[in-house]
Amino acid sequence: MFNIPRLRVTALAAGVLAAGLTAACGAPGESEDSGSGGSGPIKIAVVDAQSGQLSSLGKWEHKGAKLAVDEWNAKGGVNGRKIRLDVFDDQGDPTVGTNLARKIDSQGYIAMLGTAESAVTIAMAPSLRQAEIPNIASGQSPGMVALKSPFLFLNGPTSTTYDETLAKYVVDQKKLKKIAMISNNGSYGKGEHDAFLKALGDRGLKPVADEVVTTDQKDFSAQLTKIRQKSPEVIFLGAEEVESGLIVKQARDLGITVPFAGAAPQGTPVYRDTAGVENAEGTIVSSPYLSNEVSEASKKFAAAYKAAYGEDAELHGAKAYDGAQILLTALKNSGVATGGKLADAIRAVRYQGLLGDFAYDETGVGIKATTIGIMKNGTVVEAGT
Amino acid sequence: MQVFLQTLIGGLSLGAIYALVAMGFSLVYRTMGLVNFAHADVLMIGAYTASTFYMSSRLPFALAMALAIAITALIGLFIERVLRPLENKDFTLMLIGTIGFGMVLQAVAVLIWGATGRAVASPVKAAPLEFLGLRVRTYDLVVLLIAALAVLLLVGFLQRTKMGAAMQAVAMDHEAATAVGIHVGRSNAIAFAVGAGLAALAGGLVGPLLYVNATMGGTIGIKGFAAAMLGGCGNVPGAIAGGFLIGILDSFAAGHFQGYSELVVFLVFTAAIMIRPTGLFGETTVSRA
Repeated sequence: MFNIPRLRVTALAAGVLAAGLTAACGAPGESEDSGSGGSGPIKIAVVDAQSGQLSSLGKWEHKGAKLAVDEWNAKGGVNGRKIRLDVFDDQGDPTVGTNLARKIDSQGYIAMLGTAESAVTIAMAPSLRQAEIPNIASGQSPGMVALKSPFLFLNGPTSTTYDETLAKYVVDQKKLKKIAMISNNGSYGKGEHDAFLKALGDRGLKPVADEVVTTDQKDFSAQLTKIRQKSPEVIFLGAEEVESGLIVKQARDLGITVPFAGAAPQGTPVYRDTAGVENAEGTIVSSPYLSNEVSEASKKFAAAYKAAYGEDAELHGAKAYDGAQILLTALKNSGVATGGKLADAIRAVRYQGLLGDFAYDETGVGIKATTIGIMKNGTVVEAGT
Repeated sequence: MQVFLQTLIGGLSLGAIYALVAMGFSLVYRTMGLVNFAHADVLMIGAYTASTFYMSSRLPFALAMALAIAITALIGLFIERVLRPLENKDFTLMLIGTIGFGMVLQAVAVLIWGATGRAVASPVKAAPLEFLGLRVRTYDLVVLLIAALAVLLLVGFLQRTKMGAAMQAVAMDHEAATAVGIHVGRSNAIAFAVGAGLAALAGGLVGPLLYVNATMGGTIGIKGFAAAMLGGCGNVPGAIAGGFLIGILDSFAAGHFQGYSELVVFLVFTAAIMIRPTGLFGETTVSRA
């Protein structure tokens, strides 16, 4: 059976290899010019992780943004021009992100939606600022606000808001004083750590344990055992979905029974499934979008999302949807302006979104409130006051 | 003391996984003198296939694992068959070939299973064992047991069977081995298949501990490779020792150095390799290319 000529086998392998390579680096790359003033489609780039551990975020974001764009296109687009949404994979990697920033500039995209990863957004910001491409990002790290870029906007609150609300609930309302913290040293985890620590400090509290893990860590026995010895009443979790899930799963195996508390990632299905439904029970979540049932608008959005993709909507899709709506509204209001004019138009938009009422200030933050939810039987319900 | 022991226990189960990965690296290296860079991605394919059979087809975990091992062994055979024309001719191209296969496997995994990944439920439902305030996950014990069995089987195969002896001979001197009538290609193919099977075993076992996605091979593969180097590349008992060392080192570094643990682990690794370039149990007999 090995009589196939050697050449053919090698050629086949080369073919497979080549196919793999193109799949790995292939991205929509037509160089037709359709920037400002043209009559072709308005080109908007979605930059988000489509592969890697953070790809679920990227998929949700893309779906949310696409839903908004499809709605506008169905109504005839903006000023009679169709909107074209192209997706670029940043792999959750800041280096890949900076390359993409140059790419979307050279290919004439007039605005960018994403990324969900604060570190990538921060890495891309200088290039986008130079190219004058407005960016509505989905991360929540205060580090993005600190850049003070007039072209950077957030489609949700920052960690400061998430964690202030969380501390208000845990400390002021529930009167829990023995609080342990575990967070990762990535951009997101660092932001969460600092914001929650500050919120505790403002209340004159110090965490009983403050453990830092790496973003790649798989075994948390050492840190969790230390936390267990301090017998905290609640554990603050500052890490992304998958890692948070692993931490909670291992904590339960080590006999830690107290609830965990965190921001947006701790309300997601990926977190719940990684941890296991019974392990995630009782998790305290601070989020601007607790469920699809909170308002008429969210019910309508969830129904449209379900119809389009056959799955349930969640926070990240909702955030991206709001971000895209704001961008499209700004494009309409400004008569498809670009650069600084478009950024000003975004800043001027007042929009009632799924997450709340958006009104951007000069820092690029448009929304400054979250609500507290509790994970019960695998779904997040609003916490009773 | 409690923290110390619990940290040690935490390091052991992942250490066993690294040991399995390191054994796969070592086996191919000792037979062919080749570092198989696709190894970590074969592990990922193994984890995905095992979890698919286990979760979607609802097969028993052991059967799902066996199927995953069989399928990845076939992938191993295929990789070896494609690279065979280069054997003893262009070593660099073979290395690049394995890197290429790794990328292809990742792309294929994204095509088949999507990019999102999945959480795998633990096949052992029993509560953790508790003694002296320490907690040991029952699944960790299963992992250690299976890893130990795999080691015994592999060592038995290499030392007690004719095929195993032939593979050892090829590792020492492939020309002499050919002269006495050993089929070098077949020997390499078996090394690749067994190596891939080991990767699938590690991947299948690690699935319920972690989260399965297309890039999961990255960290595990690097740690497994470091374990193989630390133990002395090409040495099977060394790979096991290296695996546990890296696992435990990792676990303790995390406790003491927090966010800098990764840095510390690889600094210690670098220092160890500088002091003993051949690794702990390194031999110099395997050096063909």
